[in-house]
Amino acid sequence: MAIQTHRKTFPLSAQEARSLRAGDLVVIDGEIVITAGMPTHERLLGCLDGKEPLPMSLQGVSLFHLGSFSREVDGQFEVLYLNPTTSTRFNPFMPRLIESFEWHAVGGKGGLDRHCADTLQRVGGVYLSFLGGGCTLLSQAIKEVVEVGWSDMLTHYRLVRLRVEGLGPATVAIDAHGRSLYDEERQTARDRLPGILRDLDAAREQQASEHHPEAEIGNVDE
Amino acid sequence: MPISYELVKTVTSQLYDRSLRGIPADAKEALRRADAAESNETAKHTLRIMLQSAEAAERSQHFICSDAGVPVFFVRVGTQARFSGSVRQAITDGFAELVETIQPPLLPHVTNPLTLERGYRGKGMPIVTFDLVDNCDHVDITCSPKALGSGRWAALEIFSFPDLKTIENFVMETVIKAGSQPCPPVVIGVGIGGTFDYAAKLAKEATLRPIGEQHPETLVADMERRLVEAINKTGFGPMGTGGDSTAMAVHVNYAAGHGFTPVAVAFNCWINRRTRARLYNDGRVEIVE
Repeated sequence: MAIQTHRKTFPLSAQEARSLRAGDLVVIDGEIVITAGMPTHERLLGCLDGKEPLPMSLQGVSLFHLGSFSREVDGQFEVLYLNPTTSTRFNPFMPRLIESFEWHAVGGKGGLDRHCADTLQRVGGVYLSFLGGGCTLLSQAIKEVVEVGWSDMLTHYRLVRLRVEGLGPATVAIDAHGRSLYDEERQTARDRLPGILRDLDAAREQQASEHHPEAEIGNVDE
Repeated sequence: MPISYELVKTVTSQLYDRSLRGIPADAKEALRRADAAESNETAKHTLRIMLQSAEAAERSQHFICSDAGVPVFFVRVGTQARFSGSVRQAITDGFAELVETIQPPLLPHVTNPLTLERGYRGKGMPIVTFDLVDNCDHVDITCSPKALGSGRWAALEIFSFPDLKTIENFVMETVIKAGSQPCPPVVIGVGIGGTFDYAAKLAKEATLRPIGEQHPETLVADMERRLVEAINKTGFGPMGTGGDSTAMAVHVNYAAGHGFTPVAVAFNCWINRRTRARLYNDGRVEIVE
């Protein structure tokens, strides 16, 4: 299977998102918005409910679960490094955010659930898997901090709009056609489990007969 | 000249710093072996970027992961080792000093579990476990920062007189529940027996064993071998997007207990962070890994 690598300008449009297939690789140029905060997601839902104004425009952006260290030096923000965080903890927040803000690309690591995948399919969006432990490589792509939202929050919780060049490659792990590698791998593992457990039983019996012919496992006194 | 407060403070700070800027040699070897054995092209690609990432972090002395975790230290104290000054305090101060001086700065990951406030300090932080070693004249300090990605998926269940099948099935269930989330390929530590708290410690210690080192008892080494094979048949692969490389190793430790048998399962992500130094009474420091 040959891997397709795409170089795309972000934020990604619905049309561009639909041109990607699960398993493809994407190298990112352009603008992205990043955050790693649960409180950030809660606050964004609050914005949708009219509790406070949005700190920046989020319509149609590409929003990634990337933790970053940002700081203010002489009135200018700089981002020293970034790296993906586990997206699954944002599952409850993402469908409404994706739908309301029409995000055509989201991402992080570890994936999102079926509800999110269905929402992505509806709006024409993908989930990109970044390399966990890719801090050094990924951070080289940072070109400019365009804006920082909610700088009253912890550094990795802030919303940071970045201009990047050559960020990635990231794997299209959920595509805009409803295909999720996470669902597939989990289902594959579940389907294989009975066979794997049978093989484990067989290996255990064989190793026991080779190595411990006298062992009577499980025969213990209370 | 006994082992001083200053020495413990400096060494623990350096161990933490170094653990963030590369991966252990055994993990690199394991990733190369995984790449050679991997049949999935995307997975092969991911494994190679992992190695590139490790090499880039080492070369530029940058962080390999933005989640520097929380500071976790294991201190094995020889009964003939001699200290001058506080030891627990030295480790606490060593971390505080690291927070002040490290470049790039650390993200504030120390979290109050009741209020969810985050910072660089907290109750009981750093997490330090002390053990005594008889007939030994030195101190071993292992640094194993724990981050969210892999720390989140550890599990423990207590069984009554379980057979090996029950124990192994629980390990498999835990692995499937963790799936893509702990940044595979992982190192899995399994602790069996003892008590609730002790099994968890055994599992954690098992994650720190160098990859490729088998348990000395055949019964356990066999279990390790068949479990790693079974886990690599699940298909999660590197970063959970599919492939043959889900676990780099399974290490099992056990202890006798009552018939109630806790089984603990812990994960290290692919960067398998750990550093270790040995401190001698004459002030010498040996970097073990």
